[in-house]
Amino acid sequence: MIICIILLPIIAGILVPLLPFHKRCHKEIFLEGAVILNSILVWYLLLHHSESTFLLAHFTGDLNISFRVDGMSMVFAGLVSGLWPFATLYAFEYMTKEKHENSFFLFYTMTYGVTLGIAFAANLLTMYFFYELLTLVTVPLVMHTLTREAVLASRKYLYYSLGGAAFAFIGLIMVIVYGNTTDFILGGVLDLAKIGDRTNVLLLIYVMAFMGFGVKAAVCPFNSWLPQAGVAPTPVTALLHAVAVVKSGAFAIIRLTYYSFGTEFLRGTWAQTTVMIVVMFTIVYGCSRAVKETHIKRRLAYSTISNLSYILFGAVIMTPLGLTGAITHLVFHAVMKISSFFCAGAIMHQTDKRYVHELNGLGYRMPCVFGIFTISALALMGVPGLAGFISKWNLAQAAVDSQNPLAYGGIACLLISALLTAIYMLSIVVRAFFPGKDFDDSSLQDAHDPNWKMLLPLFVFTVFIILFGIHSQSIVNFFYDVAAGVY
Amino acid sequence: MYPILLPILFPILAGLCLLVYRKDLERKLLTGITGSCLVITGALVISVLALAKKSLILFYLTETLPIYFQIDEISVIFSVLTVVVFVCAGFFAFAYMKHEQKEKRYYGFYLIAFGVLNGLCFAGNLITFYLFFELLTLSSFPLVLHTGTREAIMAGLKYLFYSLCGAYASLYGIYFLYRHCDTLTFTAGGILQASPASPDGRFLLLVAFLMILGFGVKAGMFPMHAWLPTAHPAAPAPASAALSAVIVKAGVLALIRVIYYIFGADFLRGSWVQTAWLTLALVTVFMGSMLAYREPVLKKRLAYSTVSQLSYILFGLAVMDQDAFMGGLLHVLAHGFIKGTLFLIAGAIIFTTGKTRVDELHGIGKEMPLTMWCYTIVSLGLIGIPPTGGFVSKWYLAIGGLAGDIGIFRYIGPAVLLISALLTAGYLLPLTIRGFFPGADYDYNALQKREPARLMTIPILFMTILSVLIGLFPNIITDYLTKFVSSLL
Amino acid sequence: MDFVCNFPFFSILISLFSGTICSILPEKAAKAVNRIVIAAVGVMSGILLLYLLGTGESFVYWMGHFPAPWGNEIRAGVLEAGMALFFCIIMYLSMAGGAHKLFDEVEESKHNLYYILINLLLSSLLALVYTNDMFTAYVFVEINTISACGLIMIRQVGRTIEAAVRYMIMSLLGSGLFLFGLCIMYDLTGHLLMSNIKESVALLIQNGEYQIPLIVSVTLMCIGLCIKSALFPFHAWLPDAYGYSTVSSAAILSSLVSKGYIFLLIKIIYRVIGFDIFNSTRIIDVLFVFGLMGMIFGSLSAIKENDIRRMIAYSSVAQIGYIYMGFGMGTQAGMVASVFHILSHAATKSLLFIAAIGLTEVSGGSRKFIDLTGAGYRNKWAGVAFTAGSLSMVGVPLFSGFISKLLFAQAAVQVEGKMLATLIVLGISTVLNAIYFMKTVIRIYATTGDTSYPCITFKDMKVHAIVLIFFILLNIILGVNSQPIVNMIEQGLAMFA
Repeated sequence: MIICIILLPIIAGILVPLLPFHKRCHKEIFLEGAVILNSILVWYLLLHHSESTFLLAHFTGDLNISFRVDGMSMVFAGLVSGLWPFATLYAFEYMTKEKHENSFFLFYTMTYGVTLGIAFAANLLTMYFFYELLTLVTVPLVMHTLTREAVLASRKYLYYSLGGAAFAFIGLIMVIVYGNTTDFILGGVLDLAKIGDRTNVLLLIYVMAFMGFGVKAAVCPFNSWLPQAGVAPTPVTALLHAVAVVKSGAFAIIRLTYYSFGTEFLRGTWAQTTVMIVVMFTIVYGCSRAVKETHIKRRLAYSTISNLSYILFGAVIMTPLGLTGAITHLVFHAVMKISSFFCAGAIMHQTDKRYVHELNGLGYRMPCVFGIFTISALALMGVPGLAGFISKWNLAQAAVDSQNPLAYGGIACLLISALLTAIYMLSIVVRAFFPGKDFDDSSLQDAHDPNWKMLLPLFVFTVFIILFGIHSQSIVNFFYDVAAGVY
Repeated sequence: MYPILLPILFPILAGLCLLVYRKDLERKLLTGITGSCLVITGALVISVLALAKKSLILFYLTETLPIYFQIDEISVIFSVLTVVVFVCAGFFAFAYMKHEQKEKRYYGFYLIAFGVLNGLCFAGNLITFYLFFELLTLSSFPLVLHTGTREAIMAGLKYLFYSLCGAYASLYGIYFLYRHCDTLTFTAGGILQASPASPDGRFLLLVAFLMILGFGVKAGMFPMHAWLPTAHPAAPAPASAALSAVIVKAGVLALIRVIYYIFGADFLRGSWVQTAWLTLALVTVFMGSMLAYREPVLKKRLAYSTVSQLSYILFGLAVMDQDAFMGGLLHVLAHGFIKGTLFLIAGAIIFTTGKTRVDELHGIGKEMPLTMWCYTIVSLGLIGIPPTGGFVSKWYLAIGGLAGDIGIFRYIGPAVLLISALLTAGYLLPLTIRGFFPGADYDYNALQKREPARLMTIPILFMTILSVLIGLFPNIITDYLTKFVSSLL
Repeated sequence: MDFVCNFPFFSILISLFSGTICSILPEKAAKAVNRIVIAAVGVMSGILLLYLLGTGESFVYWMGHFPAPWGNEIRAGVLEAGMALFFCIIMYLSMAGGAHKLFDEVEESKHNLYYILINLLLSSLLALVYTNDMFTAYVFVEINTISACGLIMIRQVGRTIEAAVRYMIMSLLGSGLFLFGLCIMYDLTGHLLMSNIKESVALLIQNGEYQIPLIVSVTLMCIGLCIKSALFPFHAWLPDAYGYSTVSSAAILSSLVSKGYIFLLIKIIYRVIGFDIFNSTRIIDVLFVFGLMGMIFGSLSAIKENDIRRMIAYSSVAQIGYIYMGFGMGTQAGMVASVFHILSHAATKSLLFIAAIGLTEVSGGSRKFIDLTGAGYRNKWAGVAFTAGSLSMVGVPLFSGFISKLLFAQAAVQVEGKMLATLIVLGISTVLNAIYFMKTVIRIYATTGDTSYPCITFKDMKVHAIVLIFFILLNIILGVNSQPIVNMIEQGLAMFA
């Protein structure tokens, strides 16, 4: 079942250039059908999962490729499978203006399978494998436009990701050597007897592995690939560079911290302090860069950098509550950020405007898009009643609860970042809706809201932003159970 | 259903409808709709205050965080003030906003802000309060940047970011309070368990200071007051009136709620936080007056005056004494009515003459006698001359300050208040003097009677009368409040 | 003794004599003979390997049934047989993959000579693998050098001659040092057979005699072989030699010739000096440091290069560094990793050379990156193969490079003092590998580039494409099914002792 879920999108993707589609809409139906079917299968699996591990292949020794559904995979797979059909729908419309559609959908759909592979990986090696694979299938997407800029961006993306994986790999080795198993077990698998007095070395390796996986999660100073990768078509930027790829980095760090090294081993050590400082710095750094940036997508990308570190901040608190906060933000941020990215994409698609200062007065021409953008902006700021508030609340509560003075500082970083978020998000909103006195909008006559394929995903995400904000009890309880290892 | 929600939701929804409706409305229709909405909301508030059940848990945001409403005496004071000022300034706006673009947008946000303020007054716990506090910022900054000039937009953004900055500083505190309190429900006397001497307590003192600073931003407390003098002149006059009379009071309300209902006055009394707060408040009082004194632009001068006067209230709160607290509450009302009137008058002057600087306004009293009489009366009130409202509140403040257990501030406080009152006279009365006594070289032949429209004068008159009434019959309010104030302290 | 035991001897002999025969055959026939010989040796090695796996023991083969010290000995174990088989596979594939370029690169009249040299090379490699006699080893080292030199020089372009001369000088220096070391060793022990020397050495160590001459001897031999296998500071001859020779030569030279010397070194370590004695010297530390430096500096040079073949050549320097790093760890696990990396690197590097030629062909013969833009679209198979090779080099799971990295890292963790250095350099080196290989991969897929160049489809280059597919498969087999191979290596190393 799991393997089928992972393979289905990959095969569907490969079929795209091979099948002779007469009309574009046939291709759309085929792809959308495949993606929706897969999402349904994923949800079926999540709701009827069993504890058993599915072994696919044996590597060397006790290293194997195997899959299992546990709490974290439920969260991540559920999130990804929830977003993908909408993103695909959006991509159909968006890609009408771009070339090489087939190769785009080929890799776009394959990525779905690979991401699910990361989600369902039962051990560190499997995750590492799909993690590398994810890099490889997404590079063509970044390179899609084949402009010089895109080539440079994809190059950088590759260097960073592969380089990061190289250091994550060292962590993997440590777990293989000093752990009882490489399987993910909440609480960690390290064997203290084997470690002996090498604690410090292991901590150093943890920091290295953290930074390694952190490359994908755009931890400072390894974040510069993310804004550059924004040259990719918006569905890619939105889904992959705000959710699937970057969250895989965060997901991998959570796996590494909670399921491999174990929080007992790490909590209170200098390693925790180090990574927490790095994460806190990234939170503020990402936001401040976002404020300076005038290209909309790049601005959102910097915002993603900062928000990813929110997730990591939750993760490095290293308590169940912290994990709950991290998971909450992992899910909620996905919805918020994809919504704002899709708005940016809609603006680019409809008007070819890509800089903040070009947006004056557009709010009246594209009320739906900008209305939704405003909501996602408010949510990202953390206005109560929207999703962002809840996730920040959970993160902050975890930090307060941890009694770690550094984490108190982390809360301050969260709030500084919230303020900066307000600056960079609301300045867009203000421009769009308050263009200034006697603004002449005759040049904007042609701009209007996009069609339903773009709007539907936006509306759905907005509904979820509000829903999560107002009624988060059940889902947060579920996250708490995940963090406590119930599933 | 939930009657307590009506005064909150009705104006918000009405405002949203106005905003979302895409076609332009006939001006008469628009003002008609807005006017009736304002009146209905006012009626709803009053009836809710009088009749409805006093508390309501709406739903749970997270497992332990309810959206909870509760009406107590403080709510009553603030919502009465809100209703009066919003309705008056609203009607004033119907006349004033004629020469502005995009009126619909203004009324939409105005209504929303009204609803949000009601929510703020009725909020029964800190989270609900914070929710409306954020919403208030978001719904009121469009009012500031409404005119759309570059200056206005920058002022609006400045207001927005200062406010958010303050809100987030307070949120930091809320995160910690939540851990140390079982609930965040407002309870008279505070709910904090920890003692200020314990390590947790020491940290909580810091948190308290942070929250004072944070919410103090909205109340224009030094050092985060700078948004106020920028935002007020940029906004349309009725918006400045609402802003200065009510919206900044949200900061005061916030501090009352946090200090007296969450921390508890006992927790802070005698701590370094109280000292710091008193210092800041007094510095602000003095500095605001000084700056106002130096300021030639009328609206800006009034804005500085607001900075100074708000810190009177904060001083009252910071003393943590019954009389001072009572004085603070009275000053909330008095200053609300007075400053609302003053800004409306400034608006009326701008509307009719187009002049903004005080030194241009020679003989204005001859042109607009009724308006300028009102101006004079409320100015006297603000200075604190009996029998106006300002006198009573300042009396209580001074009494409280002298009686309070605040060390050296017992003497400094009232002294600063007095000096500031002098300065107040210094910056408000010249307009009266020049207005009515333009001097020998004034050209009486060019004099025109330019009394503004009824829609403008009636709200001004109404609020002036109210401000005098407070001064004449303060007992109604003090009697109503005494028991409750003693329960707080 | 089973008949199979004659196979090592047969393989050496066949390849040696077929070389001689080739000189009188017409070109086509020479080519056929060459292929058949390689295939035959491969098959024989395969059978031998199966046989040895069955018996689980190595055997010593007396040439002409003269016992030592008079006769010459050949020794075959799992590792030797496996290595021989692997060398044959790579050589066959490289020859097949580069065959169509031979006409462009080498004069018609020299084709025979080419096959002769290949056969000689094969025989010398086999001899290096199988011999149990130090002097025989030396002889074949020289034969190897000469044939390799010929292979470089056969393409008579100015640079290749220079390269060949440089190679010749460096190689001769290397073999000279090796001979020097050998002489001292002979002086100390009075033996030339490996097993005999080992006994004497053990005795010397035990008695504490002649420590310094012994060390000097070992050092000289090590340096000699290091020079010949292009360990970091001695790699100056390598980029030109690999970069400008014919494509098959480059593939064979990089993946086999240097590996032959390394294999000889392994034999010396295990069978002449003794693993533990070798590890107790400081030599391993030196090897370790040079290995690490090679990993970094080789990659750095590769990054600076803008000629695809020279870049691949420099990458070899880095990969050789990996292998020596494995030696330098001084543990069994490190050795296993090194041997595995010999296989993995051989499979990958020849793949890259062959794929690179496919890419340059569709770019007007230019090897500059700027001309290679979009070559991956023009020659799809070569593009895919190059990508696969690069990924393997970077160490992406599924490919062989990942497993060798895994083995190195696992080995490193067991060595207390060297763990951190190894792991960090491994990480850095991976990053650097990623930089230059991925840069190239992106370059070949960057844009459609200059459309005036021809496109090549599968039909135009069947052999080439099939060879590439085989190489990829070989890589994936090494990557996915590594456990039996690692077991085999462990078994083989155990047989050495």
